[in-house]
Amino acid sequence: MARRILAVAILLLAPAMVARAGDRLELTGLLDLRVVAADGTTSYLNGGLGRTRFDSDHDGVQLGRLMLAGRFRLTDTLTLNAVAESYADGDVQPAGFSQAYLDWRPFPTRPVRFRLRAGAFYPPVSLEHRQVGWTSPYTLSTSALNTWIGEEFRVIGTELEARWLGASQGYNGDVALVGGVYGWNDGAGTIMADRGWALTDRPSLLLGGLGHAHEHLYTELDGRPGYYAGVAWRHGEALEVRALHYDNRADPGAHNSRFDFAWETRFTSVGVRYEPTDRVTLMAQHLDGKTYVGPDSAGPDQFALRVHPCTPWRATSAVRTACRCATIISRTGRTAASIRTTRPTTRVTPSRWRGSSASTNTGSSSPKSCAFAASSRRDSTSTSVRASPTGRRSWPCDTGSRSRRARLRIDAIGGGV
Amino acid sequence: MTRTVDPAAGRIAALGAALVLLALAAAPAATSAGEVRVELQSRDGTPVPGVAVVLEGPAGAPARSSGRHSARMDQQDRRFVPQVLVVDTGTSVEFPNSDHVSHQVYSFSPARPFQLPLYKGAPHPPVQFPAPGLVVLGCNIHDEMVGYILVTDSPFHATTDAGGAARLREVPPGAYRVTVWGPLIHDGGGTLTTTLAVAGDGPQTLSLRLKDPLRRSPSPRPGRVDWDGY
Ligand SMILES: [Cu+2]
Repeated sequence: MARRILAVAILLLAPAMVARAGDRLELTGLLDLRVVAADGTTSYLNGGLGRTRFDSDHDGVQLGRLMLAGRFRLTDTLTLNAVAESYADGDVQPAGFSQAYLDWRPFPTRPVRFRLRAGAFYPPVSLEHRQVGWTSPYTLSTSALNTWIGEEFRVIGTELEARWLGASQGYNGDVALVGGVYGWNDGAGTIMADRGWALTDRPSLLLGGLGHAHEHLYTELDGRPGYYAGVAWRHGEALEVRALHYDNRADPGAHNSRFDFAWETRFTSVGVRYEPTDRVTLMAQHLDGKTYVGPDSAGPDQFALRVHPCTPWRATSAVRTACRCATIISRTGRTAASIRTTRPTTRVTPSRWRGSSASTNTGSSSPKSCAFAASSRRDSTSTSVRASPTGRRSWPCDTGSRSRRARLRIDAIGGGV
Repeated sequence: MTRTVDPAAGRIAALGAALVLLALAAAPAATSAGEVRVELQSRDGTPVPGVAVVLEGPAGAPARSSGRHSARMDQQDRRFVPQVLVVDTGTSVEFPNSDHVSHQVYSFSPARPFQLPLYKGAPHPPVQFPAPGLVVLGCNIHDEMVGYILVTDSPFHATTDAGGAARLREVPPGAYRVTVWGPLIHDGGGTLTTTLAVAGDGPQTLSLRLKDPLRRSPSPRPGRVDWDGY
């Protein structure tokens, strides 16, 4: 049955403040308040099937985000970075950390620069999240692809980047190789398998997860580290291309006493950002992957014995995850307009070891969505107004149902010192 | 008195076929005595600003300083301003950092390797450039920040203004080698050279037109937006 959702949100973004304690600490604060008028399915954050953050229970003023990001310089080349956030989505924790890591960047003495990060941070997938605290300067909610990255992925480990600096060789650009090794991401894929793709600006917290829906996202269940490896190419400021392969190398038979399951999750993502003129930004990202839970090291019988009585519907399943999204942002003077298309796909395949009769969760969907937003920004210290009517249709659901939604959102955003 | 530069002579003087772009023309510009005005146009005729122009005098000519011993290379909105700075050998350059964020400027160019953290509120000394050559500046925090300091032994240097013109004053008569360098110039790998005969003390104008289109310039970004928050 077709449903309609009409949401009007006003975002009152208190000036993002940058403060300084001495010359060692830089703090960035962000307060994002919205007036929400929504009519739609109960949000997944409240236990429903809705793929948006706010539903009809959220009419009125809502906290979009409260963020405090700090960068403390320990030495000239070593900084400690931490981001604390609050979303007031009925969370288990009122506030928590989304990132905390050490960043070591020795000064280059050759055309190759190394950078080492250790702690908890986002894998370098999103082309949208370019600002402090992994926030986007472009649109209010990010694409489905990067929403998923924000919800289920955090590198709790270490990353090494080697960047060839072209400027010294007469080339205006860089090429970087990046690789990471991490743990505590065995649960990645849980939300995707339960719910599918969503469109929000609501990443998870390290300890609070996504609130009541998913409290324990970052757990280590099998003692096997995961990895990612990627390449990035920047050509001036006009073009950036990134590719990354991610594999959490989870043992899909592992779980803990709380029945948090390890999902073997792999994906390859490719992204391009191109700015052909000063007024136009084009972004396109593609992700294709698979997430699997089922018997592996434990063997079919053991796995069925342990898991089946608790959650029979996911005794074993493989979810193919694919998402393509493209955004065009056009700026004219102080105003900007953007249009985004998203084509997210989840395909749940039946049990490998018990035959297709074991699964009631077979299905696929390949919906499309399209969103349009316009924003105006007067200057860095004033308030600007952004209107984003959003229309999209046919979000994938576990039940295979289709819905049709349209959303109108008017928000005001201000930035500044 | 305006001297007419022979276009044919100018082309012969250009080094290499890649520099066919050079078109020397006389222009009755309002220049003062002893002044050389170098005008640079892109392929489609628009002026090219921010390009270094250096006149090197005849071999054996007495060395002379331009008289400028200090210069500024600012940081604004995560950019080096100016992007191209030409200084005399031995000049001290200040890096004031007008941004509200910290920068860490470095160079590993052979002419002057250095590392200079620019933390807000913390004092930092100017950097001296004792040897001629091109110094490429980077920022260890913002990879997209690139700046250039061209250090030269010649006192006759300038960068082109918004109108694409560089004015070099009090140039004595003689045969000069003209070097034009800019990071966005595609022709000749970025460096154009030609010769110019300066006769008497009459002001004269050298007009150059590029053959290839410019490399794309970095796009302006909204002020005060921190892009390094991955
Ligand atoms: Cu910088």
